[in-house]
Amino acid sequence: MIETENLVKVFKEGEIKAVDGLTLSIKKGEIYALIGANGSGKTTTVNMLTGSLAPTSGRITVLGVEMPRDRHLVSARIGVAPQEYSLYPDLTLEQNARFFARLYGMNSQVFKKRFGELNEILRLEGREHSLVSNLSGGMKRRASIECALLHEPEVVFFDEATVGIDPVLRAFLWDYFRTLRSNGLTILLTSHVMDEAGKADRIGLVRAGKLVDEGEPDTLMDRHNVRSIEEVFLKLSGRELSDA
Amino acid sequence: MRRGGFSLGRSLAVAGRVLSQIRRDRRTLGMLFAMPAIVMLIFGFALGGQASNVPVLVDNQDAGYSVTVGPAAVSLHAGSHILASLQSDSAVSVTTGSFTSGKTGVDSGMYFAAILIPSNFSQTVFMRAQGRNVTASIQIYIDGTKPSIAAGVLGALQGAVQNASGIKGFSLVQQYAYGGVKFSGLDVSLPSVTAFVLTFLVLLISLLTVSRETTSGTLPRLYTTPLTAIERLLGYTLSLLVVGIMMVAVVLVVGIGLFGAVVRGDPALLFAAAVLYALSQVLLAVFLSNFARNEFQAVQLAPLIAFPSMALSGMLVPISSLPGWIQPIARLIPMYYANQLFEGIMLKGYGIVNLAFDFLVVIAMAALFLVLAMTTVKDQIDA
Repeated sequence: MIETENLVKVFKEGEIKAVDGLTLSIKKGEIYALIGANGSGKTTTVNMLTGSLAPTSGRITVLGVEMPRDRHLVSARIGVAPQEYSLYPDLTLEQNARFFARLYGMNSQVFKKRFGELNEILRLEGREHSLVSNLSGGMKRRASIECALLHEPEVVFFDEATVGIDPVLRAFLWDYFRTLRSNGLTILLTSHVMDEAGKADRIGLVRAGKLVDEGEPDTLMDRHNVRSIEEVFLKLSGRELSDA
Repeated sequence: MRRGGFSLGRSLAVAGRVLSQIRRDRRTLGMLFAMPAIVMLIFGFALGGQASNVPVLVDNQDAGYSVTVGPAAVSLHAGSHILASLQSDSAVSVTTGSFTSGKTGVDSGMYFAAILIPSNFSQTVFMRAQGRNVTASIQIYIDGTKPSIAAGVLGALQGAVQNASGIKGFSLVQQYAYGGVKFSGLDVSLPSVTAFVLTFLVLLISLLTVSRETTSGTLPRLYTTPLTAIERLLGYTLSLLVVGIMMVAVVLVVGIGLFGAVVRGDPALLFAAAVLYALSQVLLAVFLSNFARNEFQAVQLAPLIAFPSMALSGMLVPISSLPGWIQPIARLIPMYYANQLFEGIMLKGYGIVNLAFDFLVVIAMAALFLVLAMTTVKDQIDA
């Protein structure tokens, strides 16, 4: 479903190697959490996987399509909720959602139905006509998630998308993600909140652009003989990366 | 920490921070020095010249006059002297021909003026010199849409007459082209003011609108959707064209309705020309916005285009007054063609046939800006 092979990204400015030989294999219907400190290369990886950033070297396939070369073949089948809200603050929630729905070719009737469903799930009812600039941080995050899910994609990328959402709603969202997964949706999410990552099917720990360990949460904890993902992370990071 | 009272240190902290931000933005820093220098140079060159080689046609019908006074024969050829004097004057470029064809040439923009020296000119000059109550006259059919050039041509003609015949009592029978109306300063200014307002404001609004996408952070999200870069450009262009049309409507309503701008031609053609020009400026803005990383950079591009356009498009001084080496450059400026179109329709009453070339140039420039925008548009994050 999502495959990378020896993925490298070097930014021109300062010759920073943001991603360094990353190889991933994420299966259909899997919730995969890519975790690491700020600046560890998570967002750069997501940008490359979604086709919006060209890798320096390496190979990416999403839904069997080579990225970014053939991204136009797959862009309607993926959804992205970027780290930034990436919504138009001077438009209402409904106007933002309708705009993205139109980009994905949804007709008005389907949009209305889907928008209503997602508003209920994401607890955004009653805010349809609020300007995005007037929404709280958590609501903006949910609005961003909503715009990523409107067109019922097969793969979704959530880049720190659940940060800033209150614990009750976050738990509810995870239940929803599991429901989506059981319907065949593949989710790749990034987070620097370790507890949250523990709810994923598999975790990939990144440090300085490299994948330092990978596995199911329990397997990782057993392997490092610790009781939480945070401890796994700290152990692997040598307690030097907690700037998140 | 002391919170009350005035602190110069805090003000200096703000000043230092702003200067650091400018210093980090290399394009802004470049513009900071380049823009005033470019604008000053262009205005200096543009305003420093004077009209020369203005094309005029002279129809010298003067047959000369010969008379025997006592034992001596006197022969006067005032018309030929005037013609020779004009031909040696660098202010005008003289073609000889019939007055009728000259008038047609003025109407079509080939000549700026047509001058007729009548067949009895020398005779009349001679008779006046003998104390007869007659006045020699010269007819001039002149383009009144450029008062400064018209004054230059009339000055050259008056100088030539005085040099040639030494007379002072002659009359210039002036007839203005394009309906015979002597245009006011406001009349002749409004076409180029309209062009300038559209150049500056359409560029500014378009640049700001498109660059807002970059600064709002929505662009990376759009890269992940099925929206292609070309579709995005087309979307910007269509929306900004609507904005441009609204601006055209306001400019024309104020110009015509409030200031009573003369529109001798078809108002619908004027509107179409203004919309076409606005479209070319929208496409220029969409192209330029590909190079602006923030609104600050974008907003600087509008004056960088608009001020040189003002100086070189014929708005402040006629193109023929510019130094010779600048004149070809001036003809590469879109606003020059907007001036031609607006002036042609508003003052000269031209139709589409007379203005076909200028329309085609604006269309070609719009197409060029579209191609440039399409070839430079980014569809991935800059890295």
